[in-house]
Amino acid sequence: MALLLFDLVLCALLLLLAGAAMLSRSLTQAVTLFIAFGVMMALAWARLKAPDLALAEAAIGAGLTGALCFTALVRYAKQPAYPQPALWRPLTFIGLVTALLLASLSQIPLQPSSAIPALVQQHLPQSGVSHPVTAVLLNFRAWDTLLELLVLLLALLGARQAPGDLPRYRGWSLSISWSRLLSPLLLLVSGYLLWRGAAAPGGAFQAGALLASGLVILRLNQQLSWLSWRHFWVRMLVLGGLLAFVLAGAVSLLLQDLGAVWLSWPQSIAGAVILIVESFATLAIAVTLTLLVVGEPKPEVADA
Amino acid sequence: MFPALLLVTLPLSAALLMLLWPRFARSLHVTVALLSVPLAGYFLQQILLHGEQQWLLGGWSPLLAIRWQADSLSALLLLLSALLHLLVSGYALAVQARDRLPAAFWPLSSLLLASLQALWLARDLFNWYVCLELLGMVAVALVTLSGDKALKPALNYLLFSLFASLCYLLGVALLYAGYGALDLPLLAGQLEANRLNAMALLLITLGLMLKAACWPLHIWLPAAHAAAPAAVSALLSALVVKGPLFILYLVWTELAPQAFWLPASYLFALAALGALLFGGIAALRTPYGKSLVAYSTVAQLGYATLALAFVLRFNLPEFVAALWLFVLAHALAKAASFLAMGELQQTLGSKQVSALKGASQTMPLAMFAFAVAGGSLIGLPPSGGFLAKWALLLGLWQSQQYFWLLVLAVATLLAAAYVFRVVVLAFDRAEPTAPDFAPQRLPQYLALLPALAVWAMALFSMPLLTLLKQEL
Amino acid sequence: MLSFYLYLGTAVLLVGIGGLGLWRGPELLRRILALNVIGAGIFMLMVTLAYRPVMQGEPADSVLHALVLTGLVVAVSATAFALALLGRLLTRAD
Repeated sequence: MALLLFDLVLCALLLLLAGAAMLSRSLTQAVTLFIAFGVMMALAWARLKAPDLALAEAAIGAGLTGALCFTALVRYAKQPAYPQPALWRPLTFIGLVTALLLASLSQIPLQPSSAIPALVQQHLPQSGVSHPVTAVLLNFRAWDTLLELLVLLLALLGARQAPGDLPRYRGWSLSISWSRLLSPLLLLVSGYLLWRGAAAPGGAFQAGALLASGLVILRLNQQLSWLSWRHFWVRMLVLGGLLAFVLAGAVSLLLQDLGAVWLSWPQSIAGAVILIVESFATLAIAVTLTLLVVGEPKPEVADA
Repeated sequence: MFPALLLVTLPLSAALLMLLWPRFARSLHVTVALLSVPLAGYFLQQILLHGEQQWLLGGWSPLLAIRWQADSLSALLLLLSALLHLLVSGYALAVQARDRLPAAFWPLSSLLLASLQALWLARDLFNWYVCLELLGMVAVALVTLSGDKALKPALNYLLFSLFASLCYLLGVALLYAGYGALDLPLLAGQLEANRLNAMALLLITLGLMLKAACWPLHIWLPAAHAAAPAAVSALLSALVVKGPLFILYLVWTELAPQAFWLPASYLFALAALGALLFGGIAALRTPYGKSLVAYSTVAQLGYATLALAFVLRFNLPEFVAALWLFVLAHALAKAASFLAMGELQQTLGSKQVSALKGASQTMPLAMFAFAVAGGSLIGLPPSGGFLAKWALLLGLWQSQQYFWLLVLAVATLLAAAYVFRVVVLAFDRAEPTAPDFAPQRLPQYLALLPALAVWAMALFSMPLLTLLKQEL
Repeated sequence: MLSFYLYLGTAVLLVGIGGLGLWRGPELLRRILALNVIGAGIFMLMVTLAYRPVMQGEPADSVLHALVLTGLVVAVSATAFALALLGRLLTRAD
C-alpha cells in the first residue's frame, strides 16, 4: 500500500514537472524544471528495479543535459521574448493521440511471452561477465553498443562543425581549490563503477559520464588546457573506444576458426576482452562528453 | 562473413583513422572507396550464385543476437551505395579546393557509407533504430558543412529526424511488449491484427515516412538538401532517404499482419498521390535550382511509395520490381542531377534557376548530364526510370487501376515540365549568363557518369527484373 | 499490478506532454527539451515493460535495460548536437 502511494506521488510529480517545463513562460524555469524531472526519473528507475539506468540517468538527465541546456540558455538572454502560442488546438490533437495510445496499452500482456530473459540467464556463464546488462551490452548485442559509440562520436564531430564562441569563464579561487579536491574523488568513483560493472550495476557508460563531470569541472576551472581536439592523444582517447572495439572484433575473428562471426569473443578470454573494451569506451565517453560540454573556441579551417 | 563485414568495417575504421591522422584523410578515403566497389560486386555475385546468407552476430542464438542477412536486394543496395560513394568521392576530390569543402567531409562521408551498409545488412528492429539515428546524424553533420547558411535547415532536419526516430522506437517498444523479440525473421508472421500492433505499426510507419520524406512529411527535405554542398546533396537524395524506405518495405511485407495491408495501401497511395502532384508542382514553381532538384526527389519518392502501396494491395511481383527499380534509377539520376546542378550553380555564381540561361553554350557537359538524368526522371525509354515506370504500368494494367494510370500520366507531364523548364532556359542562347571562372571539365564528366549509367540500366533490364522479382 | 499500469500510463502521458511541447514551442530550446521528455516517456515505457517479470518474482528483463541504456546515450548525443547547432544559430543571429 505504501509502495503504491509512493508510486502515485512519484508519477504525479513526474507529470507535473514535465508539464510545467513544457508550459512555463520563462525558458530558465523550463530548463530548471527539466533537470528536476531528470532527478525524479532516476528515482523512478531505481523503483522499477533498473539501477543501471538510475545511475546513468542521474549522470546524464540531471547532470550533462542540464549543463548543456544552461549553456544554450545563456545565448537566449539576448533574444527577444517569444509570444505565447495558443494551447487548445495542439492540446486537443495530442490528447486524442494519447488517448488512442492509452487504449492500445490495455492489450499489453501482463505476463511477458518473451523467452529472452531465460536465454540471457542461460548464456550468462559463457558471456565472460556476471552482470546481465553488461553481458547484453558488450557481448550479446555488442554491435548496437559499437554503433552507439559511433553516434556519440558523431555528436562531437557535428558539434565541431558549429562552434559557438562560448563566453570564457574565469574560475574563482574557491571553486578552483574545490575542483582539485573533488575531481580525484570522481575519478576514483568512476573507476570503481567501471570495475563493478562486470558483476553488478554500473559499467562503461555510467563511469564515463561520471568521469566526464569531473573533467568538466576541472576544465571550467582552467585546468587540463591540453584537452582539445587538436591534440593527437586527445583524439586517440576519443576514438580509443571504437578502435579498441573494432580491433577486439578483428582479433577475435583471427583467433577463432573460419566459421566465426563478427563480435563473437572467444569464451576463454571474453571477460578480459570486455574489460579492455569497456575501459577504453569509458575514457572515450568521458572525453567526448567533456568536449561536447566545454566546447572549443576555434572554428575548423577549410581543407586546402 | 568477410565481404559483408569488410563492406561495413572498412569505411568505419578508415573514418576513425582519418580523424586520427587528418593528413592522410583523402588518400585513405579514396582507397576505401576504390576497394568497396569490387568488394560489393564480388559479394553480389556470391549472393547470386549461392543464395542468401545470414549471420547471427556474436554467434548467439537467434533471439539474443542481432541478425545480419544478405539477400540479393541487400547486396544490390550495398553495391549501389559503394558505387555512388566512389563517384561522389571523385567529384569531391575534383572540386574541394575550389568549393572550400571542409576537411571533415572525408571522415563523415565514410561514416555515412558505413552506416548505410550496416542498415542494408541488419534485420533487427532495435539495431535499425541505432542505424537510423546514426544515418540521420551523419546526414545533418554533412549538411552543416555548408557553413552558417545551412544551420537553420540542418537543425530543422535534426529535430524532425529525432522525432521520427522516437516514433519508430515507441513502435518497436510496443511490438516488444507483445512479442518479446526484435529479430525480424523471428517476428515475421507472428503478429496478430490487434489494436496494440496497429498502433505500433502506425508509429513505425510514421517515423519511417518522416525520415524517408514521404509527402506530406517531407517539409524538412527541400531546405536541407538544397542547403548542403552539391556532393552531400547527391548522397542525401540518392541514398539516405532510401534507408528508411528499405526498412518500411521489410516491416510491411514481412512483419505486418495481412489484415492491415489494405488500409496501409490506401495510406501509402494517398501519400504517393500527394507527392507526385504537389512535389511536381513545387519543383515547377521554385526559383532556386537545387530546390527544384530537391522537390523532384519528393515527387520521385511518390512513385516508390505508390509501388509499395500496390505491393500491399495486389501482391504482384511487378510492383516489387517497380519499387526497387525506381530506387535504383532515382539514385543514379538524382546523383547526376545534383552534381550537375551544383556544378552549374557554382560556376555561374547564382542559385537561381534563371541564371541557367544559355548554359547549354557555356557549360554544355553539365547541362547534358542534367538533361540525360532528367530524361530518366521523366521516364523516357529506354532509361532506368522508364523501366521502373513500365513495371509499374504493367502491374497497374493487370490489376485494372485506370485512375492511377491517369495519375501516372499527369506526374510524368509534371516531371517533363520541370526538367524542360531548365533545359529550355539553357538553350536560350541570346544573353547567356557568363561563368565566374572557366568551367572545370572533370566534375562535369563525373556528373555525366551516373546519368549515362541510368540509361545503361536498360541493357541489364532482364537480370535486374528477375533478381528483383524474386524478392516477394 | 496497479503500479504497472500506473507507470505505463505515466509513460504514455509523458510522451503526450512532450508532443505538446514539441508542437507548441515556441523556442527551439524548448522543442529540444520536449524531444527529451518524449524520449524519457518511451524509456519509461520500456523500463516498465522490463519490470513485468519482477511481478512474478523473476529478475527484470536485462535486454530491455540494455536497450534503454543505448537509447539514453543516443538521446544525449543527439541533444548535445542539436544544442551545439542551436548555440551557433543564436550567436550568429546577434
